[in-house]
Parts: sequence; C-alpha cells; structure tokens
Amino acid sequence: MSDSPDRQESAAPLEIEVEGLRKTFGRREVLKGISFSLERGGFLSIFGPNGAGKTTTLRVLATLLTASAGSVRVAGHDVREDPMPVRRTIGFISHNPMLYPDLTAQENLRFYADMYGVEGREARITELLERLELSHRRHDVVHTFSKGMRQRLAIARAILHRPRLLLLDEPHSGLDPRAVDILDGLLADIRAEHTFVMVTHNIAKGLELGTQLMIVESGRIAYEQAAGGDPASFTAVYREHVQERSLL
Amino acid sequence: MNGWAQFKAILRKDLIRELRTRDMLVSMILFVLLAMVIFHYAFTVKEGADLTYFTGGMLWVTFIFAMLLGLNRSFAQEKDERCLDGLLLCPVDRVTIFFAKTAGNLIFLLFIQAVAVPVFTLFFIARSYAGDVLPFLVVLLLADVGICALGTLLATISMNTRSRDLLLPILFLPLIVPVLIAATGATTLIFVEGVGFADLAARLLLLLGFDAVFLVAAWGTYDFAIGE
Amino acid sequence: MKKLVSAPALFAEAGICLIAGLLLAFWWAPVDASSMGFSQKIFYYHAPIAETALVAFGVAFVAAIAYLRTGRLTWDRLSYVSVRLGLLFSILVMLTGMIWGKAAWDTWWAWEPRLTTFLLVCFLYAAYWVLRSVVDEEQRRATYAAVFAIIAFIDVPITFFATRFLPEGLHPVVITTGDTGMAGSMLVSFLISMLGMALLLAALTRRDLAIEKLKDRVADLKSTIGG
Repeated sequence: MSDSPDRQESAAPLEIEVEGLRKTFGRREVLKGISFSLERGGFLSIFGPNGAGKTTTLRVLATLLTASAGSVRVAGHDVREDPMPVRRTIGFISHNPMLYPDLTAQENLRFYADMYGVEGREARITELLERLELSHRRHDVVHTFSKGMRQRLAIARAILHRPRLLLLDEPHSGLDPRAVDILDGLLADIRAEHTFVMVTHNIAKGLELGTQLMIVESGRIAYEQAAGGDPASFTAVYREHVQERSLL
Repeated sequence: MNGWAQFKAILRKDLIRELRTRDMLVSMILFVLLAMVIFHYAFTVKEGADLTYFTGGMLWVTFIFAMLLGLNRSFAQEKDERCLDGLLLCPVDRVTIFFAKTAGNLIFLLFIQAVAVPVFTLFFIARSYAGDVLPFLVVLLLADVGICALGTLLATISMNTRSRDLLLPILFLPLIVPVLIAATGATTLIFVEGVGFADLAARLLLLLGFDAVFLVAAWGTYDFAIGE
Repeated sequence: MKKLVSAPALFAEAGICLIAGLLLAFWWAPVDASSMGFSQKIFYYHAPIAETALVAFGVAFVAAIAYLRTGRLTWDRLSYVSVRLGLLFSILVMLTGMIWGKAAWDTWWAWEPRLTTFLLVCFLYAAYWVLRSVVDEEQRRATYAAVFAIIAFIDVPITFFATRFLPEGLHPVVITTGDTGMAGSMLVSFLISMLGMALLLAALTRRDLAIEKLKDRVADLKSTIGG
C-alpha cells in the first residue's frame, strides 16, 4: 500500500524528479526501477536495510554515479546531460568527511570555496566555523581532529557554497551528542528554503524531519508516504514491508 | 566557476600538502641519489670502465622509476580518504583536474631533478657541459611533460584497481619508451660531445610530438578515467 | 553476398588464399636476388602477419572509441577479442622474424626497428590484459581497457619512429624487399597472402566475438536463475 504525495496540489516546483532509475554494477542490478519526486522545500527521509540501494540512489542524485537507465532530474537539469549546474546546487554529507587530513580546517574550506567560486570566501568561512564551533581549531591540521569535529567540518564543507539541495547519508552516525545537537540546530536553521534528502537508520529523526518518507528494499521502493504517523506505527510498517520481502 | 581559479586551487592544495608532509619529495630524492650510487657499483666491473655513453640512460631510468613511486602517492590519499568524491562533487571540468595534477607532478619532478642533476654531474660527468645547458633544459622539460602527462593519466586508472602499485609500471613503461629513447639519446649526446639544437632537432621533435599527442589523448579520455 | 562473409565461409576463403599464397610464394615467385636467397620467402608470411596484427589493434582502437561513446558492451568485447588476436599475431611476427634472422644473417635476435617495435607492442597489449584482470567491475573494466587501447594504439607509430634513432648495429636489417618495384609475381603472391591473412583475422574475430557473446548470455542466464 503506498500513498504517494499528491503532485497536483503542491505549488512548489519539483527539485528532484526520478523516473525508472536503474543501476547495474557488472551483473548485479542494485537499483531496479526507482521513481519518485520531491518538491522544493521538502524533506525526504529514506529508510531501508543495508545493501538496499539507498546510498547508490543518493550518489546518482549527487552525480557521482551515472544511472544505467531511467531519467534523473535535479534542480531542473538532467543529471547525465548537464551535471555542472546540478553540482553547484547540491551539498553532500556522508560518513566520509572528504577532508584532506594534512591540510588545516581553513585550508580545506578555502580549497572548496575556490572550487565552488564562493564569493566573500573569508567571511563565509569564518561564519561557518563559528556556527559549527570550530573557530578555535581553524589553523589546526585535520588529522588532529576528533571524529565529531571532522563531521562538523564536513558539514561546513557541504554548505559552504549555499547549496539549495542537501543530500545526507546517515549524517548522525558516529557523532557525539554535542555534534548531534549542532547538526540538528543547523538543519533547523536552514530548513526553510532548502530541500533535503536524508538516508538514515534513525527512524525517530527521519520521521521528525521528513515531509516525505520512503522505504527502499532490494533496489525498489517498498513503501512511501507523506509525513505523519508516530515512530511506533511506522516501525511496524517498516518491519512489515522489509520482512515481507526478505521472506520471499 | 573559473577553470583557471580551480586549476590553481587544486595545484595549491597539492603543493601545500606535499610541502607540509614532504614524504613524496624526500623519498623520491633519496631514491634517485641511491640509484646513482647503485649504478656505479653495478657498472664499474672493469678497471677504468667508461660509463660515458651510459649517462643519459642512467639519468632517465632513474627519473622514470622515481616518478613511478611518486605518482602512486599523489593519488593514494585522494583515494584513501575518499577525497576524490569531494573533488568530483565540485562543478569542475574533469580535464581541469588532469591538468592541475599533471602540473603538480611536473613541479615535483623538476624539483627532484634540480637536486639530482648536479649530483649526477659530480658523480659521472667529467666534461663541463655548461655551454649546452639550454638544450639540456629543453630536453628535460619536454621529456618531463610527457612523463607527467602520461603518468597522471595512468595513475588515475590504476589507483582504482586491485593491484594499483604493481599495475602502474606495467602500463607506463611500454608507453614511455619513445620518450626514453629520445631523451637518453639527446642527453648522452649533450654530456659526451656537446651538441646544438640543430643536431637534437629530430629528437626534440619526437618529444614535442609525444607530448602534444598524449596531452590531447588525455584531454579526450580523462573524463572516463576518473569517473565512476 | 551474405554467404561469402558467413563464418565458415570466411575460414574457407582465408584458407584458400593462404595456401594459394604459400604455393605461389614457393613455386612461382622467383628466389630473391639479394643475399637472403630462399629464406626471404618467409617474408610472404611475416609481413602480412605484421600488418594484420596492426589492423587488429586498429580495430581495437576504433571499437574502444565506440565503447566510450555508446557504453555498449559489445564494443568492449570486440576490442578485447581484437587485442587478443593482435597479440597472437604479434608473437607470430616475432617468431617468424627471428626465424628469418637466423636463416638469413645467422642471428636469433637483432635490435632493428620493426622487431623492436613489435616486441614493445607485445608488452603493451600484454599490459592491456593485466589491466583487464585487475578490475572487478564490468563497466569500469571496459572503460579503463578502452582508454588504454586508445593510447596504446597512438603510441605504436610514435614508438616505431623512436626506434629508428637507435643505432643499427652489425646488421643493417631493413626489411624493405617489397618497398620498391617488387617483381610482378612476387607482388601477386604477396598480395594474395596479405588478403589471406586479412580474411583469417576477420574469420577469427568473428568467431571469437560470437564466443564472447555466448559467454555473456550464459552469465546473464546464470545470474537470472541464481538470483
């Protein structure tokens, strides 16, 4: 049973449009035809067991992978034909901080700022370092950072260029409580005017933040709904759908 | 997003990183100097053995093997920390990445050569070739460009495979033979006899041709080499 | 017309040409006037094999470009098959070259441009094989192999020019018997052998490609059944 969000009613333009997305690695078909859309300002929470294809979907949206079939449009551009404008509008946070360990926090951020052509580079870097409570480590080399700090810096890296769409791959995993608070605070701050896709195992967080929910299993969408419901009942739904398939 | 600004950003990042850790540079310089000493022991079998006609060869073989060591390093970190993903997420032309990486490798190679050549001259060259420094430098530069361009392209491919360190030499060495032939020939002539540009013309043309052809080939294929 | 290019027909045509070429070479074409004498006749096989090897690599080159542009694995299969055949032919070039060298100048090996180039060509395409074997994922393997096939092919002529810089040594072994004004009968025999080799390449390529495609189908079926 799936209730897809009623597209006719939403006035907001579609930030993401995925139609029949398939991805094959050699002989292994990881994504078997995924279709969904997300309007601007929405927050899509994606759940699912490991190996379901959640991260693969995210990487296709991020232009890091090319789809084997199907069409994927982000911010009005086809991801395969026109990846550059897509890259300018997205920010990606994953378990890998994608930071250079031998460079300082400032050097890392300066590098990415230059790559994205961020205006007012220094002011923006200072602002973000303050917001993420890393100003005091500005000139320290990243390999001296704790994991939580690296994730925080990674967040700074991801939103440096003011992307409209944020792709988050299990962003809360491995964070200490303080970092979790900072991240949640930041997400709350930029919630308006931004669109999010978050892959997570944390059902409570996913439900709290999401306006749209999706369960991916074995490369397909097993279940989707517009927001609502409490964690307990959703967990039941989750178990039901994931269990159902794995018994096949 | 200015391609030139991005080129500079990547180059600057690689230079800062290397200057700070110095692991690639130090290892490569040590390797090169050691190789020279080993060559002496390996070739001086007979009393008064004359290595004059081996000089060009010794020099370039050393540089090529040192470069093979260094190339893997320059990509290893991108790969290990998944920084390559971060780089690919940026709205940057993949070819810009290629040129920036090649330029970085070229700078490292030139630096090492700046240290190695004087030492080599001290060890093996009796004749002063001060008058032929200009042709020598031209040969050096042209050969370096070929080595770095080809090396960067191949390192990009090999870093994504199972046996990355072993694969690079196997791919690289057969392809670099033309450069090796032209560079060693030219360099030996300069060391031994002292020749002008006219005599070196054919070899210089070959090096130039190689560089041009491979830069264009890399331009066309780098997108595929670095993507996923 | 279709019958003429079907797989068995190609082999038959190749066989006919090659045997005809051989007979003509030995009985009709005159013995070479130069010092090489009778041993020169290996040239009728040696040169066509060499040229055919290069044609095979050329096919691999074009197929590689086609793969990068279309992403269709058939092109990758063609590229792979062509490289394999090219490598086989290259090894034959080396062997026939060495036999010729021994017969004509009493030396098994000489660092002359053509032989040297083919030696390097063998290493180059052996590297192609190694590359393929260390990439696990199919699309990526095909992509990397294609890039390498392209730059390898570009490198071959450059290498050939470069080897001319090397000193010739004791044997000025420039195999240019056929370059200017081959006697009529020599030319005809040569061309027939040439055609025979080309047909052989076509026949083998076709067969090998069909085998690869069959292998792919089997693998597809296996994965569908196996789940």
